Amino acid sequence: MAPYTNIPLSPAELSYLHNSLSQNPPIRPDGRSPTQFRPLVAETDILPSTNGSARICFADGTEAVVGVKAEVEQSRTFVSATGEVGAEGVLGLGAGGVGDVDMDEEDDEQTSRAGKGEETWLEVAIEIPGMRDDDALPVFLSAMLTEALLADGELKDRLWINRRFHWRLYIDILLLSQPFSYPLPLLSLTTHLALLSTRMPALLSEKDEDPLFNDDWEASHFLYPQSEGRSESQRKPPVTLLVMSVGENIIADPSREELAVADAVVAISVAPSSTPDNEMVLKTLALRTVDPPSRLTGAGVPTALNTTAGGTSLTAAEALVLREKDQGQTVWRPPRGGVKRAVITRMIKLVTEQGGVGQEVLEGLAGVET
Amino acid sequence: MPISVLPPAPAPAPFANKPQYGHSLDDDFEDEDEMDIDSLPTGHQRTSQTILTPGQLVTQDPQWMRGHGTFPLEDRNSVTGIHSTLAGTLQKTNKLLSIIPLRARYTPEIGELVIGRIVEVQSRRWKVDVAAPLLANLLLSSINLPGGILRKRTSVDELNIRSYFSEGELLVAEVQQLFHDGSASLHTRSLKYGKLRNGYFLSVSGMGGGSGVVRAKRQIFTIQTRRGGEVDCILGVNGYIWLAKHVAEKEGVGMNKLEEAAAADTGMYSSQNDEIGAETRGEIGRVGGCIRALVEGGVKVEEGTVKRAYEASLEVDEVDGEEDYLGAERGRTVVEMVLSGRG
Repeated sequence: MAPYTNIPLSPAELSYLHNSLSQNPPIRPDGRSPTQFRPLVAETDILPSTNGSARICFADGTEAVVGVKAEVEQSRTFVSATGEVGAEGVLGLGAGGVGDVDMDEEDDEQTSRAGKGEETWLEVAIEIPGMRDDDALPVFLSAMLTEALLADGELKDRLWINRRFHWRLYIDILLLSQPFSYPLPLLSLTTHLALLSTRMPALLSEKDEDPLFNDDWEASHFLYPQSEGRSESQRKPPVTLLVMSVGENIIADPSREELAVADAVVAISVAPSSTPDNEMVLKTLALRTVDPPSRLTGAGVPTALNTTAGGTSLTAAEALVLREKDQGQTVWRPPRGGVKRAVITRMIKLVTEQGGVGQEVLEGLAGVET
Repeated sequence: MPISVLPPAPAPAPFANKPQYGHSLDDDFEDEDEMDIDSLPTGHQRTSQTILTPGQLVTQDPQWMRGHGTFPLEDRNSVTGIHSTLAGTLQKTNKLLSIIPLRARYTPEIGELVIGRIVEVQSRRWKVDVAAPLLANLLLSSINLPGGILRKRTSVDELNIRSYFSEGELLVAEVQQLFHDGSASLHTRSLKYGKLRNGYFLSVSGMGGGSGVVRAKRQIFTIQTRRGGEVDCILGVNGYIWLAKHVAEKEGVGMNKLEEAAAADTGMYSSQNDEIGAETRGEIGRVGGCIRALVEGGVKVEEGTVKRAYEASLEVDEVDGEEDYLGAERGRTVVEMVLSGRG
């Protein structure tokens, strides 16, 4: 997908970084271990006029604010042949209509709204300084975040109010700083926190009446119910993490200069889901490869070819043979070709496994105080 | 713990005394305002802690002269006051008032050692990013041309200009000349200057602001690391820093023997790295982490502090028994040790 920036690093720097990261164990320029994240500063509920909001500041100085705002909207309706008004997509006649049965219990209501949500009820807008709304990066990022949010299929159903009305959820993501590194993990983590803190007013009206809500904010409920015990209903919004590979090494939370020498960059969206025996496991919701910026860098010139450094001028064919033999060992060569299937598997495993990176991040974010 | 999520740090406590310069629009407070300026000691010590914002009135007293970062403005009663053009603190030198910005880009001065990155190759010169407002020039005639003798540039050199330096490459140079618009002209006519390889680049804030690289007696020095041999450290005054594996110099090379040296040192324009061991790479990363911690802690980056921070990071390791990321807590510990060692 769209590369985000052309990183101007010299071939000598790229070669140094690539060789350092290919060592076993990899030596990261800032001394982190391969799965270590940079410390981040996070807080939630910072914007009073939103349903939920969060701010995260990464150690490299990038900072994002997310506000979640919900609006009641009339569903697109149609008038059926009998003059009965039904919601689109729910064919009332003979389909076991919701309105015919009195269902007061919570569980029934939960099941009754299943499958009634629409994907268009969720709107994600990303604002990145210095970029237009229709630039490739914001469009791609918002598509990737929307995809992950809708993938579990439950969020859109929660937005259903009754057959005539539904919530429309606006997620406004604001990157406050320049995108120093690929901003996807930052935006995703901030969105996760904002959605965790999102509260919806309690509904007072019944069935298909015009919705009336409780003024009392205390009575509101969380969009993602937060229960103490590990019950079936404990759901969390997804997070999207960036993982990169250099040779056989897999590195989490890559910094800007590490991304510049990546062989492959993969964005993995995971969300917790509970197994029958109530253990939290992570489910992969979406997987996208990100075009590594390393492909756009220039190759280095070996000393043997550099006439100003004592090399000889060879013919084009000889020079090509020399470069191919070298395989990017002594000088930098932009990575070519794809990534091995086994490496992708290990990347996914690193994020989703029990006690893996994904779980650590979710646990870290769950500890953020509002 | 692979990730640490911190709560936001509370905003720094407001200064004990109320804002001193804010009231001066009000005539009643004018006397008090002057008192505040007078209470600042003269000299180059920056003691004022109050931050002035652009456009803010500093004083209306005619006894003061206006220095850098100020402009005169007449108010309704046609009294001329000195206003600030920058966000920064006030400095008083005898009767001269100037504003020192909190953050500023690098202002080149002749003779300073800088690290630059080539951004553009033109027919007879390179345009170099040195973190200054304008790109610096590096003329083809002000680099060391290979060939054994000091010679004039030829048309062959002009055609081969990219084989000396091409886009993105790093070099260390000296500011040779300044132009009227404030842009600099660089030169690399010494063996200690030239293309950079075998190492790692990081950029911190340069001059201006309290932290970052400051002009010092020695900008190029070597740190004897514990495991990885010697690491060269080049602190560009513009805030660009190069950490590299130390390559032993050839004996007896001076400016007067430049021709012989240039003939011998064929690697001058090579962009191929030497073999660098894993230990050396680790130590380069550690020194980089120390410098980052220093900048975050608002400490000046110079030979002494970098060396002390390196020693402190080793001590922290001995206590904690782990070697890794110098972020957050550990970085703060290192900075505290550096600062306490100084006193």
